[in-house]
Amino acid sequence: MNAFRKYIVLGKVSLQNAMAYRSTFLISLLAGFVLVMSQFYIWKAIYSKHNEIGGYSWDEMKAYLLIMFITNSLLSWYSEMAISQKILDGSVAMDLLKPLDFQKARLAETMGASIFESILGAALASIIIIIFEGIASPPDLLTWLLFLVSLLASALIKFGIIYIAGLFCFWTSNPYGVAWVRAAITNLLSGAIVPLTLFPRWLESVTAYLPFRGVVFVPASIFLNRINGQAAVQEIAIQLLWALFLWLAGRMIWSRAVRQITIYGG
Amino acid sequence: MTPLIIVDDLTKEFLHAVKKPGLTGSVRHLLRPEYEKKTAVDRISFSIDPGESVAYVGPNGAGKSTTIKMLTGILVPTGGKILVNGVIPYKQRIENAKNIGAVFGQRTQLWWDLPVRESLSLLKAIYEIPEREYKRNLELFTDILNLGEFLHLPARKISLGQRMRADLAASLLHNPKVLYLDEPTIGLDVSVKARIRQFIKQVNQESGTTILLTTHDMEDIEDICKRLLIIDQGRVIFDGELQAVKDAFAQERTIHFEVRAPLHLAEDALHNQFPGAALHIQNEGSHCSIQFNRFHLAAGEIIEFMMKRSDVVDIHIDEPSIELVIRQIYESNLNNQRIIV
Repeated sequence: MNAFRKYIVLGKVSLQNAMAYRSTFLISLLAGFVLVMSQFYIWKAIYSKHNEIGGYSWDEMKAYLLIMFITNSLLSWYSEMAISQKILDGSVAMDLLKPLDFQKARLAETMGASIFESILGAALASIIIIIFEGIASPPDLLTWLLFLVSLLASALIKFGIIYIAGLFCFWTSNPYGVAWVRAAITNLLSGAIVPLTLFPRWLESVTAYLPFRGVVFVPASIFLNRINGQAAVQEIAIQLLWALFLWLAGRMIWSRAVRQITIYGG
Repeated sequence: MTPLIIVDDLTKEFLHAVKKPGLTGSVRHLLRPEYEKKTAVDRISFSIDPGESVAYVGPNGAGKSTTIKMLTGILVPTGGKILVNGVIPYKQRIENAKNIGAVFGQRTQLWWDLPVRESLSLLKAIYEIPEREYKRNLELFTDILNLGEFLHLPARKISLGQRMRADLAASLLHNPKVLYLDEPTIGLDVSVKARIRQFIKQVNQESGTTILLTTHDMEDIEDICKRLLIIDQGRVIFDGELQAVKDAFAQERTIHFEVRAPLHLAEDALHNQFPGAALHIQNEGSHCSIQFNRFHLAAGEIIEFMMKRSDVVDIHIDEPSIELVIRQIYESNLNNQRIIV
């Protein structure tokens, strides 16, 4: 119990920090906000000629964009950079001095900050809801519930991805390069650019074997009630399995990476 | 007594990229990278008993910090054995972390954006320190290190001297068995240095905390440590009592006399009585100094000799600084062999 408490305290401190640096978070969320707005107007132009694209009505597409914004708001650029930075500036050495599991500590901090991010994200999302008008929403409470669980699983998968990407900074000294590559791959394959069902068939079937679809596409599809009932529970189970797999992969990479440490200076 | 720290044949090698100069060199490195091995720590062995205070010194790049990082479990050795309080640091890092405290002069373990007080209470949770113990330590440290004036400020806003004091407190809150100090007084003013040394000494003597200190400040060593471990080029070149080093390398003494009337003393007269002593007369005879080996001659006799011959106003005795002593050791370490005194 006590051993667990320290991670809760770390998460709390991280939340406090996030609030202290609210403008940093707000700016990174605003970037996502501008992006989703531009996508909104592009899709609006496309939908003016079509009633349905890839099985999505305009109201559904708006909802999809909203979920995309929300999932992208959780675990921002800031958390991602925090992990890389620790490795690059050598302060990872100070973390290693403490009786803390590096991965659990980073998860606690990331989740702490994401509480604040989700509050900010929700505030911005409500602006989107007002501008967009007539967004499709889940038909019943159970769907809402499944959506929220799926959203949490999405955050865990995303943590797994950014943690592993962060560890690559043990081998390279370009955190931005790592983060850009990570973001490009995640955005494309998670459905953060277009719904995966609009992909060519072969690419769509490739994404089925990757963790990325659990980040945006799965929660969005549950929200839209396109995946429901038993299928939804199954998808969430797959999400959680991916989160677990990435967690274990992160542990393995860490134990290799830690042998790589040179720590500059002194 | 079983030693608290056992280091046996410890080795750490780093790989460095070898790049030939110019564009062709860079291209070649890109296609077929070459690396060379550099041995930072080369088969060193020593052991430290509980409660000892050891200075770990050596020139820049000798491998001091690398050793400390292996002892703390941050770095994984290339070869050899380490055991700290029965735990292998790099294998059981978390277990080891509970037993040790560490202060690195160049880094802080405080949270940059948190008030110092909150950093400390976060450490209480991390180290699972019982409330009573935490309160007692915090009160004690606040008192001795005078933390009160900046406990409410975030680490990024306090001065270097304040930060070091806070870092010291942070490293000792959980009553570690060993305290590693890596250049704890670097860049600090004299009064902060004195306060920090006093505190470390107190921790060593009253709580029995084992101290391993690396520093370039010789006063740190004299003030805090009883034992001296010198390494150079990754090898231990000296391991022994500080006093023994002084006896071996600091045998010279110089007595300075200030006399009322100009002194007329022939060097022969001195030599007759004190063979090996050297006389220097300055300021037209009003000041003279006599240099001698303290194992051959007694200071008392020399003083008595002078008192009989002149009206002495003031006397003081110089001994070589520890700095000079250690420089002699570095310089005599030409073929990198262990020095025995």
